[in-house]
Amino acid sequence: MQLLSLSFVILWAAAFALYYLAPRRAQWYILLAASLLFYAVGLRGFPLHLLLIGLITYGGGLYLKDNLEREKAAVSKCVDKESRKALKAAFGQRRKRVQVLCFVCDLGLLVFYKYAVIVSPFLEKIVGSDVGFLGKVIMPLGISFYTLTAIGYLTDVGRENCEAETNFLKILLFLAYFPSVTQGPFNRYKPMKEQFESGHDFQYDRMLRGIQRFVWGAFKKLVIADRIGIFVDRVYGVEASSVPGSIFVCATVFYMLQLYADFSGYIDMAMGVSETFDIAMPENFKRPYFAGSVAEFWRRWHITLGTWFKDYVMFSFVMSGVGRKIGKACKKRWNTPGRQIVPIMGTMLVWFFTGLWHGRTLSYMLWGIYYGVIMSVSLLLEQRYPLWKERLHIRDGGLWSFVCMVRTWLIVFIADVLIRSESLTQAGAIYESFLIRLRPMSLLSHEITSYGLSKYDFMLLLAVLAVWLAVSVLEERGRDVRAYLAAKPALVRWGCYYGVVLTLLLTGIYGGGYDTATFMYQSF
Amino acid sequence: MEEKILAILKEHCEDALTYDGDSMMEDGVIDSFTVINVVGDLEDEFDIEIDAKYVVAENFKNKEAIIALVRKLLEE
Repeated sequence: MQLLSLSFVILWAAAFALYYLAPRRAQWYILLAASLLFYAVGLRGFPLHLLLIGLITYGGGLYLKDNLEREKAAVSKCVDKESRKALKAAFGQRRKRVQVLCFVCDLGLLVFYKYAVIVSPFLEKIVGSDVGFLGKVIMPLGISFYTLTAIGYLTDVGRENCEAETNFLKILLFLAYFPSVTQGPFNRYKPMKEQFESGHDFQYDRMLRGIQRFVWGAFKKLVIADRIGIFVDRVYGVEASSVPGSIFVCATVFYMLQLYADFSGYIDMAMGVSETFDIAMPENFKRPYFAGSVAEFWRRWHITLGTWFKDYVMFSFVMSGVGRKIGKACKKRWNTPGRQIVPIMGTMLVWFFTGLWHGRTLSYMLWGIYYGVIMSVSLLLEQRYPLWKERLHIRDGGLWSFVCMVRTWLIVFIADVLIRSESLTQAGAIYESFLIRLRPMSLLSHEITSYGLSKYDFMLLLAVLAVWLAVSVLEERGRDVRAYLAAKPALVRWGCYYGVVLTLLLTGIYGGGYDTATFMYQSF
Repeated sequence: MEEKILAILKEHCEDALTYDGDSMMEDGVIDSFTVINVVGDLEDEFDIEIDAKYVVAENFKNKEAIIALVRKLLEE
């Protein structure tokens, strides 16, 4: 079931009505029923894997809770500091073992589903017997999202940053919550539990705001992302040597916008749906193309994935026994520069796994390493920047901010060629076309309209991108655009609403039977 | 103790001294690398071990939260 489908709208409306008719303490059951229905219909089958992850998460959480309680009881009976420390270490070791076991199960299943298809032909050659069934393994919907969410929960329980849940159904709702199960954002248990358990009263304004955000997300997806996607698919679908570099530049810039419009469009829709139920989820985008550095870009793009990796991979590694030992040795050997080695190792680790999480190909691995290296180099050079800027008489703000933004776009641009190309060979040929076959005049010739978009499409795109930019600038200045519009006279307000809805209906890209293309991040 | 913590913060992230909000990490005042370096210096200075469970936005939301965290770990 897609978020942009009639069946979803019916499910949403039914769940919404039942949610506010139900007694306050039973509202979360409605969300659970809607989530399981949404998931089962989307999966077209029994959600076995989701239930399994739910059971591992639930059982692991209960063990950690019991272990922590026993640790506290035992520690309270100890008088001296050394015995308390030894007891804590012993209990901590047991917790760690159970956590590792749960993570191995969660990640083992994720790796199996992600890589079974790729590995099966090689495995067949090695073992010599038929392992064709592996090639038919279908990845469960949203597996990458709810697996990481489950791991985050168990880590938080182990760190005592949230209490273990004793009701299995609440764990299931947390993992399968239908607005976020397929593409995020990554939720944390503590704030979600509080919201699931507290009663919610119907509010007309809130419902309206949720629907507005949903429609705005659909607008970005159907009018911008799917239109741009036609051009990108056509350009990247032909032999690279036959296309001028400038057309590839245009297609890659479009791809950057397509990915952003598609994913942030989905997130807007998910947040909008959740808002109608009065459940707030963490923001996942903060206008990333306004970032002045790559580090800032990733603090604004897919924010909840970034914080997930920071909290559960980066800090876990740096603060681990191994990380501390390496850190101390490096600091002793190289003093100040040595201090940066462990954070750099952590950064490379995070980006390597981010690449693996996003895709199954070598391109994604290289994409992760590329960002890891850029982040690490910028970390090493960070302290020299003020000196260089002073020597070059560069002042912050104004033109320099714009230069920094363009530099960030360029870095992202190079990376996006890698992940959009069908293969590394194609990516190489495209980079080559930028250098030896740019032919910028192709952008002004008829050639530009031979890749699926007419002049009308380009003009429409320019107009809607201008609207999107205006909205983004307002948001960047701290304006709540929906509140801003709500304060305008009725004529202006409803003019804007109708404008967006009519543009969506008249110019959105729909398939046969008004189906829409799948969301790009759904495949990650 | 407070002076020592403020001196460590000054060395790594001067903006943290003047920040008066309550979400220093989310607001981009202090990034993860700086947090790691601050944690390393606090551990050396006060002979404490700051476990990953304490490295959360809540404990690094402003300079007062960092001081409170060190105080808590010293009392343990």
